[in-house]
Amino acid sequence: MRAPAGLVRLLAARGGGRPPRRCLGAMARYGTEQRGRPNSPDYRLYFKNADGKYISPFHDIPLFAGSKEDKEIPAKRSKTTGTEVLFNMIVEVPRWTNAKMEIATEEPLNPIKQDIKKGKLRYVANIFPHKGYIWNYGALPQTWEDPNHRDNNTGCCGDNDPIDVCEIGSKIRSSGEIVQVKVLGVLALVDEGETDWKIIAIGVDDPEAQKIHDIDDVKKHKPGYLEATVDWFRLYKVPDGKPENQFAFNGEFKDKDFAVEIIKSTHEYWKALLHKKADGGTIKCTNVLVSGSPFCCSEEDARSIVQSAPVPVNGDSVSSDVDSWHFFPK
Amino acid sequence: MVVEVPRWTNAKMEIATKDPLNPIKQDVKKGKLRYVANVFPHKGYIWNYGAIPQTWEDPGHKDENTGCCGDNDPIDVCEIGSKVCSRGEVIKVKVLGTLALIDEGETDWKIIAINVEDPEAGNYNDINDVRRLKPGYLEATVDWFRRYKVPDGKPENQFAFNGEFKDKDFAVSVIKSTHEHWKALIAKKTDGGEINCTNLTVSDSPFCCSQECAKATVDAAPPGKAANPIPPEVDKWFYYQKN
Repeated sequence: MRAPAGLVRLLAARGGGRPPRRCLGAMARYGTEQRGRPNSPDYRLYFKNADGKYISPFHDIPLFAGSKEDKEIPAKRSKTTGTEVLFNMIVEVPRWTNAKMEIATEEPLNPIKQDIKKGKLRYVANIFPHKGYIWNYGALPQTWEDPNHRDNNTGCCGDNDPIDVCEIGSKIRSSGEIVQVKVLGVLALVDEGETDWKIIAIGVDDPEAQKIHDIDDVKKHKPGYLEATVDWFRLYKVPDGKPENQFAFNGEFKDKDFAVEIIKSTHEYWKALLHKKADGGTIKCTNVLVSGSPFCCSEEDARSIVQSAPVPVNGDSVSSDVDSWHFFPK
Repeated sequence: MVVEVPRWTNAKMEIATKDPLNPIKQDVKKGKLRYVANVFPHKGYIWNYGAIPQTWEDPGHKDENTGCCGDNDPIDVCEIGSKVCSRGEVIKVKVLGTLALIDEGETDWKIIAINVEDPEAGNYNDINDVRRLKPGYLEATVDWFRRYKVPDGKPENQFAFNGEFKDKDFAVSVIKSTHEHWKALIAKKTDGGEINCTNLTVSDSPFCCSQECAKATVDAAPPGKAANPIPPEVDKWFYYQKN
């Protein structure tokens, strides 16, 4: 395995408090750089590739793990059960945390930032019996739920974001981590009237990944988890005064093959976006590695984008309101 | 209430009943630091957990409700307010009820209480208020105590009264009797075995000591340092086959 000199353990921020670092990933693939202050509006987590170049996690990380763009080591792929398709997942929110961290689709190089609603930093409510997010939550790169396209399954238009993933493995991941995942199934959430597919996946390095290949395996090995997932998505915005969410297919999970089809179609929408064939509105398609994209920029331009962000500092404390548990009538 | 374990954490912190001045320490079992399992859908402890001072569940006394002897510890409290308290915090609580757990064959009452500072504390005066205002919380509490040691290879726990919660008046009388057991202990009328009764303020206690002596105890402990990381195995979620 070729590793760059000075390989350092990944220390992507997990919600604040740590001193800022520039690091390379444990597998020497991707690293992150903190800017601004955690738990504040100016916090940003920018991404770098193995060559130390600043990249967009939305556009410059390959969707398919093990693809030639991924420069993946072939030996790693053979550890899987052979024919399974693997995807790269960008972790935004570690399991059991509340800060609503997301890829900033409208900022150049799309760093991770904390969502702000009504002028305040957004923290997801604790919906009893749940604490924060109940999976490692994030997105698949190089996908886009096109708001100009009405989905046949949900009857609704896309939510203008990359497709979301719930990673169900044991390990708590870090915000900004890039994980190779196996897709297991998908839930068709209709969030505030927009199509918002939730891919269910597991990290290939999870100790149980060998036993879990499709949505039925999740039911078998983690009874109650899928029901809790529907429950969570149905209720999670109610404490903010929004109504319960709805689902297509009566809230049933579709299987892996269906999920992979959905992912592929959102990948096609993304390709159209990057080649200016679809109107992305305020989406920033700035990228460093998508050859043929009219939005491709230079390394120097990418560096100056990052350097113009506020200097990194240690985190602020979080209000105790975030710890409240919200109960619903049974 | 002395808070030992903040809600949603896993480290099994407890008052060290056998150490002078009874500091809080992390329980060690089979030579390893103890972390409570995450029993799905729960994450760590689901309340701020701790103890009521000046109480003692006497192991020499068989409780008539549970048929079992006391677990040799102060009486335990589950504090159900919104705030995640800090380890070592001493808070005033209103008692609301109690659950009669039999943990590995020992009487282990769990007092249900709410922090008087909780913004909703005014609405909570008895156990039914918890049922009404936090539906599912009491059921989750029974579920938690029934199953929390199963990942360590222990059997499910049992309860007296079929796992039903008794009301505030009942809870207060349980607390009062464990307070009487403690008084007997601290006056050396009961044999506490290895329990360390060193204290500074219990005036007629034969175990009363001086501030100098207390300071020497603390100074003899290793200096304070930054925390070790928590092992990632602690994050695992344990599942059971649903019926």
